[in-house]
Amino acid sequence: MRNHAAAAHHVQLRRHHRHHATRAVHHRVNPLLGLPLGVILALAWANTVPEPYFRLAQSLAFVVNEIGMALFVGLIMQEIAEATMEGGALHSWRRWTLPLIGAAGGIAGSAGAYLAYVTGRYELILTAGWPIACAIDVAASYYVLKSIMPRSGMLPFVLLLAIVTDLFGMLVVAATHPRPPAGGGLALLLVALGLAGLMRMMKVRAFWPYLAICGALSWLAFYREGLHPAFALVPIVPFLPHEPRKLDLLADPPDDDTVHHFEHEWNTLVQVVLFFFGLVNGGVILKGYDTGTWGLMLAALVGRPLGILAAVGLAVIAGWHLPRRIGWRQLVVAAFAASSGFTFALFFASGILSTGPVLAQLTIGALATAAGWLLALGIARLLRVGRFSRAS
Amino acid sequence: MMRRTFVVLALLFTAAGGFAPAAQNAPAAALPGRPDSLKFAVIGDTGTGGRPEFDVGQQMAAARAKFPFELVLMLGDNMYGRQAPQDFVEKFERPYAPLLQAGVLFYATLGNHDNQSNRFYKGFNMGGERYFSYVKKNVRFFVLDSNSLDPPQRSWLDEALGRSQEDWKICYFHHPLYSDAGRHGSDVSLRVALEPMLVKHGVDVVFSGHDHIYERIKPQKGIAYFVAGSGGELRRGDAHPSAMTAAYYDQDNAFMLVEVAGDELFFQAVARTGTTVDSGVIHRQARDVRSSQ
Repeated sequence: MRNHAAAAHHVQLRRHHRHHATRAVHHRVNPLLGLPLGVILALAWANTVPEPYFRLAQSLAFVVNEIGMALFVGLIMQEIAEATMEGGALHSWRRWTLPLIGAAGGIAGSAGAYLAYVTGRYELILTAGWPIACAIDVAASYYVLKSIMPRSGMLPFVLLLAIVTDLFGMLVVAATHPRPPAGGGLALLLVALGLAGLMRMMKVRAFWPYLAICGALSWLAFYREGLHPAFALVPIVPFLPHEPRKLDLLADPPDDDTVHHFEHEWNTLVQVVLFFFGLVNGGVILKGYDTGTWGLMLAALVGRPLGILAAVGLAVIAGWHLPRRIGWRQLVVAAFAASSGFTFALFFASGILSTGPVLAQLTIGALATAAGWLLALGIARLLRVGRFSRAS
Repeated sequence: MMRRTFVVLALLFTAAGGFAPAAQNAPAAALPGRPDSLKFAVIGDTGTGGRPEFDVGQQMAAARAKFPFELVLMLGDNMYGRQAPQDFVEKFERPYAPLLQAGVLFYATLGNHDNQSNRFYKGFNMGGERYFSYVKKNVRFFVLDSNSLDPPQRSWLDEALGRSQEDWKICYFHHPLYSDAGRHGSDVSLRVALEPMLVKHGVDVVFSGHDHIYERIKPQKGIAYFVAGSGGELRRGDAHPSAMTAAYYDQDNAFMLVEVAGDELFFQAVARTGTTVDSGVIHRQARDVRSSQ
């Protein structure tokens, strides 16, 4: 009898473990799948029957890029807001400084390499794309580095560096939206902020009233002021219910009832948005590669890693310290793990440029920076870092 | 041995353009030269400052002696490489000096190699605008910046086309909506964005460059399309004719001469050597017939 009960308990335990493992894998893999799936489908479609593809992509572009992506930007801002709260991983300024220096070096390296290349080729029309060269795919760099150095102090370092870089890029994109202002937006924004403040005072815990009412008003305000409306949730995010978090983005336990994070409730919707974002923006006829494509690849795969390494190197000479148990080999791998722009590069491209060959060649470049993932793995293997240190 | 030498010589001769596949259906010059017609020339991808650009400029000047065109459409990439003030002299003013001295006006659009600030250069007559329109006799020209088709430009085009009352509507911009060239080819994303507007408002003819060949496309949805991107640059052998190709020439640099007379538009494509490589006539369709297609 006791044996029977023990066996039943054992089976239950195995089911429980399997359930949790599946949930964890699902939650860790899920954020990576929506966008690449959309991109792969778009590339296949655009290069086989292009006209129907572009007709669909252009008809969906506004809804996906300017309305749907507001949720994605809101989610990223929520992550940052919670990480900077008391108890959050970014609360202490000391943790910021070295990644901040690395981010500045990365921005200078990638933008400098891109601008040098396109101006050297006398294609000044492409210089408008320099913020795309700065973009870092936050989730991809995190997962690539985690697959090489699972418990390394470089993980928060790279995440901070990527977030700061993309924040900078977002500011530039928000201000360079190719739509003229229509006015009246400021009043709408004040109403949105007032309502959000009121909800906060009334301790409204659900997210949707903030998004549906205040977010919609803020979206209209951004749109009318000629700012990119995908950033409409940014002023609303500070009013949302927050809880401090570790800097372990996209990987908090999904079924922990004490954790009340935005992405857990909106993850599925954001994944759908990212799938459509990949579908609408990722489709490009591969023959459209040109100077901008090579410029972006040079910026991401060479300029940014070199910029990061140079800036961090100078900081270390000036007295800063690398994270504990981190040497130069690990730093080199981390710099290359942050080389891909992918999601954020596509987002910046869609925000800055309109339909045309300039956008097409930069889209190909943004997608091609995914080569940075393989480059990071190759360099880790070469330098015998992380999981590759055991290979010897 | 003799046979092998003959084969080698024949191959070299063909590669040099001797028996190049000049455009099909290429009769001799076919411009009526009526006194009251609008006469213009078309060149694209010119601004190299190299020998071919000068040769084309000389052929254009020679052609003008018999066919006194009053304006030239420039289809973009009007300047390659460095674009300092001296480059405007070497890559534009000198190659076309006889035409400029004769008072011929050049109306340019911007290509991917052109600095955006070139729209302020007086010789290009762009009035500082990326996109604009102008009228000559019974023709309204619409000049677009196809590098980036932003929402304000689309709105402007829709409105300007809708307002136009002239007999002929001719659009030109750098990147071709239809092209059979191997390097770039048709820009389908631009086509999907632009073509419905062009069809809706009854545009008659579209000229583009970017691909460094000459190509005439069979009319698409009632619109005649030309690629004339070999005015200075040339990508020899880059044409890959398809079912939509009406004629092509990819063995030497070329330019176009066009005459609009009443309801007919006559065209002639001329190679750097002065040989006519394509010619024909386009009959304007009534607007109501076009819109019902």
